[in-house]
Amino acid sequence: MKLLSLLARASAILAGVLLTVITLITCVSLIGRNTIGVTLVGDYELTAVTAGAAVALFLPWCQLKRENIVVDFFTARLSDRTNAQLDRFGSFLLGGAMLLLAWRTAVGGLSAYDSQTTSMMLGFPEWIVYAFMVPPLILTGVIAWTQTIFGNFSEQGE
Amino acid sequence: MSSLSLAGMIFATMLGLMAIRVPIAIAMFFAGCFGYIFQVGWPPFFNNLNGAAFARFASYDLSVIPLFILMGNFATQGGISKALFQFASVVTSRFKGGLAMAAVLASAGFGAICGSSVATAATITSVALPEMKRHGYSGRLATGTLAAGGTLGILIPPSVPLVIYAILTEQNIAKLFAAAMVPGVIAMLGYMIAIAVYVRLVPGHAPEHEDQAQLTMEAFLGVAPIAIVFLIVFGGIYGGLFTPTEGAGVGAAATFVAALLKRELTLAKIRQCFYSTAAASAMIFLIFIGADMMNTSLALTQVPAQLAELVQGLDVSPVMVVAGIMLFYVVLGAVMDELSMILLTIPIFFPVVMGLDFGMPAESVAIWFGIMVLMTVGFGLLAPPVGLNVYVVNGLAKDVPIGESYKGVMPFLVSDVFRTVLLLSFPGISLWLVQFVG
Repeated sequence: MKLLSLLARASAILAGVLLTVITLITCVSLIGRNTIGVTLVGDYELTAVTAGAAVALFLPWCQLKRENIVVDFFTARLSDRTNAQLDRFGSFLLGGAMLLLAWRTAVGGLSAYDSQTTSMMLGFPEWIVYAFMVPPLILTGVIAWTQTIFGNFSEQGE
Repeated sequence: MSSLSLAGMIFATMLGLMAIRVPIAIAMFFAGCFGYIFQVGWPPFFNNLNGAAFARFASYDLSVIPLFILMGNFATQGGISKALFQFASVVTSRFKGGLAMAAVLASAGFGAICGSSVATAATITSVALPEMKRHGYSGRLATGTLAAGGTLGILIPPSVPLVIYAILTEQNIAKLFAAAMVPGVIAMLGYMIAIAVYVRLVPGHAPEHEDQAQLTMEAFLGVAPIAIVFLIVFGGIYGGLFTPTEGAGVGAAATFVAALLKRELTLAKIRQCFYSTAAASAMIFLIFIGADMMNTSLALTQVPAQLAELVQGLDVSPVMVVAGIMLFYVVLGAVMDELSMILLTIPIFFPVVMGLDFGMPAESVAIWFGIMVLMTVGFGLLAPPVGLNVYVVNGLAKDVPIGESYKGVMPFLVSDVFRTVLLLSFPGISLWLVQFVG
């Protein structure tokens, strides 16, 4: 579990750095466009694909902290033990969904690779973005199933 | 099986999973999968999933969401809120209940650079609650005020729920933000009036006299960064210099620099910014994935289209239909998270509303309806039994019973109802500023 939380932390921070880089690219591109009239080619695409990778990299930490919203209205009167068991079941389903998505995203990435699909302005190969999304999706699935088997991570209440 | 009973079963599956604490996004996802596979089979289902994550995560329009969240977190960790509250308390110190009004004012100011209500509530609470307690405010009034003030985080642009509405309905984000400005200010004033009335009607919750504070240079300089960031972001968007996504990027960078200049941002705090951004963004995008699957599956049953036709055939006034939808939101919002609710229902309700004749251009209707939806989201964040903001503030206060906090938000809920009726009756209030956006 230590390793998993280390990986989740690392990907959240990597994603944060990626987002910060986007803000810098945006500033550079804007200053260029509005002062010397030079546009950074494909800055929108760069933002989209970088943010896309960042969002996927955010997923493991979100699940590790159990930040995915649940409705607790109907189970509020049940014991903590029962609620914890229900949470394990919820994590099991979430893990399944993530691994399903990881598998299909990998398939989608492979077909993007075969057809050499690229972004319009930059000619940036789309499969690279797919490839960035698969590992964090798998990691999220593994974290969720670990929660199903062993319960909460120690970072939970931080 | 008839399409109606199939749609009913998909909905029942979703609600059933939600009721047993399955994360909302996943409940929608699996209910949607079930409906999709049942209607078109496995191969199209698999094909649909291939690009699902890519399409939603790597979308330029949606990039605005993590960027605005990052901006809000830089502001939260950057120590900007303290100066803001000091400044606000100088402004309101002459009024009875002035410190509570200051909390509202500070929340509004913070809301001008933060798009999340929970982040606004938590940030302002951390600086305002100790002060309010020290000056003899009751836990009820203090927590109620801060929970209500937090909703200004989304009522005043930038606003994450409004961005989501704009993306779902393919409306212009800049115009929706412009439409939210006047209602946001009305909300702020309405909350201050609610405080003024409450402290007079129900004695014992606020001190008789406020400390008169002097405006210091320090307090004045403290709010300058917020004003500058707000002017850069919105000046740029409305001046046609950049898109909302670029505005969010520039705003995040500017807030980052402002926080660095205040020497508040340590490496540990930057890490904390990234963790909070991770949790908030991932949660929203996962809901997108789930709601997409659910909506595709429901659209296949044709029931949403039939619903739109049915409502158009009804002999009721269009405004009553909107009022009905809002009432439905208030009821559903009692048990469900508001963002999930928007993502799930806007694809169904939006065509219904757009099919009605309000005597306004289609774009105006779309923008005005967005503001009305935003009002119900704000209401849902405060209303029992599950008002997310009330929980957040109450959790930070530690020694106030949750029942007291809910009593504390009542005056603000009354104010919410007045404002909502006003905006529902006079669409011009929301649409007035929009005409100046090119």
